[in-house]
Amino acid sequence: MSSALGNLPSSADYAALLPAFIVAIVPLLILFVDLFYRESGKWRRVVATGIAVVWLIVAAVLQGMQYPHDYAAFGGAFVQGGFSIVFSEIVIVATIATLMLSIGVGRDDQVAGTTALLLWSASGAMLMAGASNLMIVFLGLELLSLGLYCLCAMSKRPTARESALKYLILSSMASAFLLYGSALLFGATGSVGFAALAAATVTPLLALGAGLFIVGLAFKLSLVPFHAWTPDVYEGAPLPITAFMSVATKAGTLAVLARFAYAALPSDRAAAILAPLWVLAALSMVIGNLGALAQTDMKRLLAYSGIAQVGYIVTAFAGTTALGLRYAILYLAGYMFMNLGAFAVVALMARDGDAVVGLPRFAGLAYRRPWLAVAMTFFLIGLAGLPPTIGFTGKILILAASVGAGYAWLAGVLILGTAISAYVYFKIVRVMFAQVDAAHVRDERSPSALPWVAVAVCAAATLVLGLVPFTPSNVLPLVK
Amino acid sequence: MLLYLLWLLPLFGGVLLWAFGPQLKSWAGPIGAALIGVAFVATVVLWNDATAPGGLHAGLVTWLPGWSFGLQLDRLSLIWSLIITGVGFLIHVYSIGYMDGDRAFARFFAYMNFFVFAMMTLVLSDNVIGLLVGWGLVGLASYFLIGFWFEKPSAVAAARKAFVMNVVGDVGIMFAVFMIVARIQSIGYADIFAHFQQAFSPTALFLVCLGLFIGCAAKSAQIPLHTWLPDAMEGPTPVSALIHAATMVTAGVYLIARFAPLWSASADARELVGAIGGLTAIAGAILGCAQWDIKRILAYSTMSQIGYMIMGVGIGAYDAGVFHFFTHAFFKAQLFLAAGIVIHALADEQDVRRMGGLWKQMPFAFVAMLVGVLAISGVPGLSGFFSKDAVIYGALESGHPWLYAVGLVTAGITAYYMFRLLFVTFFGAYRGNVDQSDLGIRHPELAGTAASTGHRSDEEEPHHHAPAWLMSVPVGILIVPTIAIGWLDAWPGAPWRQFFAGFFPRVNEAAVAAPFSETISTVLVFVVVVAGFAIAYVRYGAPAALRDAIARLRTETVRMPAVLVNAYYFDAAYDALLVRPARVLGGWFDRFVDPHVIDAGVREVAITSQWLGHLFRSFQTGLVRAYALSIAFGVLCIVAYYAYAFAFTGSGR
Repeated sequence: MSSALGNLPSSADYAALLPAFIVAIVPLLILFVDLFYRESGKWRRVVATGIAVVWLIVAAVLQGMQYPHDYAAFGGAFVQGGFSIVFSEIVIVATIATLMLSIGVGRDDQVAGTTALLLWSASGAMLMAGASNLMIVFLGLELLSLGLYCLCAMSKRPTARESALKYLILSSMASAFLLYGSALLFGATGSVGFAALAAATVTPLLALGAGLFIVGLAFKLSLVPFHAWTPDVYEGAPLPITAFMSVATKAGTLAVLARFAYAALPSDRAAAILAPLWVLAALSMVIGNLGALAQTDMKRLLAYSGIAQVGYIVTAFAGTTALGLRYAILYLAGYMFMNLGAFAVVALMARDGDAVVGLPRFAGLAYRRPWLAVAMTFFLIGLAGLPPTIGFTGKILILAASVGAGYAWLAGVLILGTAISAYVYFKIVRVMFAQVDAAHVRDERSPSALPWVAVAVCAAATLVLGLVPFTPSNVLPLVK
Repeated sequence: MLLYLLWLLPLFGGVLLWAFGPQLKSWAGPIGAALIGVAFVATVVLWNDATAPGGLHAGLVTWLPGWSFGLQLDRLSLIWSLIITGVGFLIHVYSIGYMDGDRAFARFFAYMNFFVFAMMTLVLSDNVIGLLVGWGLVGLASYFLIGFWFEKPSAVAAARKAFVMNVVGDVGIMFAVFMIVARIQSIGYADIFAHFQQAFSPTALFLVCLGLFIGCAAKSAQIPLHTWLPDAMEGPTPVSALIHAATMVTAGVYLIARFAPLWSASADARELVGAIGGLTAIAGAILGCAQWDIKRILAYSTMSQIGYMIMGVGIGAYDAGVFHFFTHAFFKAQLFLAAGIVIHALADEQDVRRMGGLWKQMPFAFVAMLVGVLAISGVPGLSGFFSKDAVIYGALESGHPWLYAVGLVTAGITAYYMFRLLFVTFFGAYRGNVDQSDLGIRHPELAGTAASTGHRSDEEEPHHHAPAWLMSVPVGILIVPTIAIGWLDAWPGAPWRQFFAGFFPRVNEAAVAAPFSETISTVLVFVVVVAGFAIAYVRYGAPAALRDAIARLRTETVRMPAVLVNAYYFDAAYDALLVRPARVLGGWFDRFVDPHVIDAGVREVAITSQWLGHLFRSFQTGLVRAYALSIAFGVLCIVAYYAYAFAFTGSGR
């Protein structure tokens, strides 16, 4: 619709934003309903999470209905299409899984608040999935992060406060880099839109801006050497929040990184601008796995594992091939299921879903809770990259894509990292299947059975995706 | 729908009998047999669908493009299915009587049903992967059943030998499958046959055929991978009849017939397979003359007869080779089952030198054995006559006079050793109470297995008893096809050839004009067979020979050529060339490579990784300022890179 003032947003523009908008507005509903409860009780929890889950599903369905069509809303600031929808759906699934892990744990009077914060964070990640404009990227990133700062502190443990504060300080520092990079990009091109960036001539200013922008994203992705905060923050944060951070934050940030790498850089110099990114990926794959070797706390171990796994995904972007993007998305989905499955197993081993679960707690698990041990073994096999899981299939496809794009050295580093990681993951398996005196092991059980649902769904998805590696074809990011 | 049922019923039976064997007790046998019977009925019901053009097809799953798994029942698989379920059903019924009183009655039937499932997987598959799975599973079932009496060390050793030999064959097929998948990008038979001409050079095609044939040779006991089959007779006799005579060992024939288009296109492969088949036929027959164990004689005869079949399908006479499989399944099953009646009645005595004169005590077994011997020797009018003639004459038609001569001579030897078996077992006087050294048996503990088996608690004394009707009825039923089934080919209009008309591809080369007609060939074969019979009669059956049978047998045992006693030294050669070097190598690995190279290497990697892990952990101070510093350091490096790449090289402005 045109007018004298320029292009006014049409209803189609709002429709494209609707799913993220629903996720952003439902927290208000949850908080409002919660006002009517004076006492703690089961229903208070069920209503809050129930509303959240129902509306997340609504958003997911609405979004799925828009799937085949690319639409650049708000003058190209927010592009809804196959690319953004796939990433947003991953965020929604991760959010629902997080709610499953957290139902039945924590204090009832906080449930509405945590649920609301979680949804706001998720809406930020969804905004990032479609962001095609430096300002929207920043908006989404901050929306995501602000919620998480609070969520990290939602625990009685003193380490939770420490975790939140560390995250706040270091993340702000990274946001500053991102913002500074954006400013330089704007200075170099006179525009904040990705489309204008892609059409600009490359100046040192633009390259530096792009570099700092990438640094900001690399921090959020916890790529080495911007990873140091991750183990501490993951360890301190409540378990469901750690699970959410390890998947949803990364999905949103990877969407921005992919769109930036694929569609926002002048094609003649894109390879040179992106070169540091592959070095970061290589470092992450090696150092992430090496770091995981020495860990005994499960959340810290999974944090390091996540650092390496994101390295694998970024490897798929190498050379910015269309095939690489498809396999990156496939592996991201697979990583989400394997990782959330492992977190769900850990959640089932903690009485309140927020305990510190160390490796010794897994000793002899196969004899006490055989199904849990089998499920955990399956997820670890997947994370280590063995068949019949998506971990194996996805990694093979990423290897094929990166070698095909001419980045054989990166593929070699991936194989090296995988070799190290086998030691990490099978150390846990060995502990689980070792015969120990059960009297020495603290055996806690989660009061809620819902994480079992997450375990089952994640295991099924890990297996099915591994056997049928489905990649949606219409996922190339569009810039208008 | 029915096809799925046909495929899965035996699996259901196997699982059911395995899981609920102790509860089902003596019902396990009838249930197992009934399920196979139903499968047979299903096969017959599917006759019309299977013989329709293109056969019956049922999809299972499609994994990736080119990787669709499904079942198909065409004329070739129909013939095999009829034998597997039909003869299989009769042998199941027979086993109810034969295995009666065995401690693991239900386990036996669970394995037998599982075997039928595996065999059906093999023949019903419409792709090479399914074929390979079936191929492996029948080997597994065979392993279970040869080693069924696992308290006997000899049975366990035989089972292991069979399994290892078959794995050699599996690897051969795997290589063929790899080549097919790599070049054709599909696993379905239809795609393979449609595209193999373009996909393979003649050399590559020969290699594919070679890989497939290595599998055949192992499964079908062809030289040089045949040594497991005689040992496999350690299993119960019904197992020998079903798996190691009628069905599984003929899987090689099926494989070549199934891949007939490939063979038709590769002359080298035909020559190789024809030659190996002929060689196996004559070598097995000669060894059959030197054996004293009734089941080992039949085992070598099986090896020799499969040699005929392989020769037939190898030289391009596919329908003749398949026909010989068809008739052989009946008469060899009957021979084994009749032998089983004898063995059962004599409390597991298998040495024919310790038998003799049994026709009076066991007239039924004698008649059954006699009909079988007549059929396998190729006496005119009986089933073996027609099929064997077709194969032998096929060799001449395809321009292989040498193979024709081999087939001819083998027919004579076959008649000789089969009548030898008959005379020694059923004529003269009973020798079971003669001292073993008088018969020249030097190692009594090896000769008779009666003392060592001990799997049956109720039969300490050798006592003769008439076979239970459960055992005689299947044998009686088998007599009918053993006599008559050959007429399928000889009946006016030749229904067998009609059945396969146009099914198998014609061999590319122009047919060579045979030097004489099939009638002359038939007469020639008959003359040779009569000669074989005559020699056997003079040596074992004539009144003079029967009078001093004990002395003669003793002389023959003592003077038996060592090369035949040791079966051409194949086992010794494998032992010297493969087993012992492998042991030495293994010992070397055990003492040197494993502890000092592999373990040490792993240890080094683990120690280094741990050290690096702790090194990186030491950076992890938990202090925000340290983390901020590492971020700043990273940013510095990246900025330096951009400064170098864009500003100073002047490429930007």
